Amino acid sequence: MSILSSVKRHIDAISTGLKYLFASSRMTVRYPEYSITLRDNYRGMIRYYKDKCISCSLCARICPADAIKMYRKAGEKKMYPGINYQRCIFCGFCVSICPADALEHTPVHDIAWESLEEMIFPPEEFGREWVSPALEEGARRVKAVFDEKRGLTHVPE
Amino acid sequence: MMVLEIIEYIIRLILSPPIFAPIIYPGLVTVLVILLSIIWVERKIAAKVQLRYGPLYVSKPIGGALQMLADATRFFFQEIIVPRDADSIAFLIAPAASLVLPLLPIVFVPAAPSFVAISVEYSLPLVLAISALTPIVIIVMAWAANNKFTIIGGIREAFMVIAYELSLFISALAMAIFYGTLNLEDIVSMQKSLPGVILNPLAAITFFVAMVMATSRLPFDIVEGEQEIVAGPFTEYTGILYGLVMGAGYVQLYILCLVFVELFLSGWYPYIGLLGEIYPALGGVSLFIKAYLLMVFIVFLRSVYGRYRLDQAISIGWKSLLPLSLASVFLSLGLLAAGVVI
Repeated sequence: MSILSSVKRHIDAISTGLKYLFASSRMTVRYPEYSITLRDNYRGMIRYYKDKCISCSLCARICPADAIKMYRKAGEKKMYPGINYQRCIFCGFCVSICPADALEHTPVHDIAWESLEEMIFPPEEFGREWVSPALEEGARRVKAVFDEKRGLTHVPE
Repeated sequence: MMVLEIIEYIIRLILSPPIFAPIIYPGLVTVLVILLSIIWVERKIAAKVQLRYGPLYVSKPIGGALQMLADATRFFFQEIIVPRDADSIAFLIAPAASLVLPLLPIVFVPAAPSFVAISVEYSLPLVLAISALTPIVIIVMAWAANNKFTIIGGIREAFMVIAYELSLFISALAMAIFYGTLNLEDIVSMQKSLPGVILNPLAAITFFVAMVMATSRLPFDIVEGEQEIVAGPFTEYTGILYGLVMGAGYVQLYILCLVFVELFLSGWYPYIGLLGEIYPALGGVSLFIKAYLLMVFIVFLRSVYGRYRLDQAISIGWKSLLPLSLASVFLSLGLLAAGVVI
């Protein structure tokens, strides 16, 4: 009996594998050609608006990874935050705590740098707008849909 | 006139079975094509089952089929590092031997009726005996690298050998007992109407599982054991030496698949006479197709099974495979006693 049941389980395993081999759609997308549009509240790269900032330095204090640091220019009294993406864990605490809405997440995550120094952004550069390099090179946008039959798939927008 | 004669002589030399069989088909060139294609097929199948794309960006229009060629080229240009504490002669010779030894039996494996490089009466035990030499090289490799992971891998290989080898030989000999010959060519010619797998399914199952164990395919890739011991005996190898040892397993898989098809799946039948008239080896192309499909099935198992532990694999070998192979011998004897004649 145990032999028969183990034979049945082997056949089950192989037939499941065959089912996935022939009758399944892929979950992944070919990234540089297709780019998945992320939802609006995605915790991607952080953007800073200097004109809204009140220099309260709450963001630097709440940051659990010590990624945000306050910078002071020579001769100026106020301090402004800068970020070090070597340390940032994209937890979003700084965005949540900011009383003036001067920080926000962007739905861009596919950024890479060539050196560690480039990952440090003082206040002037912290405010830059982020663009996905894949989209910049003309990737087609797709969005994830969950289909009862096919599972997770991606359809063009 | 002289030049034409020389060219004709060279062509006749290349087309003569003792040269053509080991060099072109089913020998070296075919093995190279298989190495380049089967690893790609394996990765593509695993990717499809896991809902991914797999290798694609090398040669996109044909689905990344040249990925292995690119990898092999990369292997050639990589630095070969010999560890300071390694036994350098054994360390360098073992990978070459590990590719040559599994390839050697090809001279005794017939590819079509009376198309074989060296025709011997005892080709079945000879092929199995030569392919059983590979574990020795792997153990030498493990010892030469002088590293704890390679030693563990080498000891695992030694344990695995005793688990599968007996069953592999006994189940193959069960077919030899039934057909009354040890010559692969005669065994195939007796399966013209009825393949051996129908007559003796026990031997076929045992040989198949032992073959998967012998070639370290999943679920028995205990020797390499990526998740635990890096790459087992192959841990210290870099560059083309790693390429050689990685290819060795697939070469052995190919040879044993050819033997499996000749023992159980009626070899080169259905024989295609039309192609056979052009060149005798082409007529036996169904042997190659069957062996390739069998290889594809075996590499497909990678995406189905998890790995067995060493003790589980050994107990499968001794407690299940050995009794099954002995039962297959008795099944063969029973068939003979019952007067089943092919």
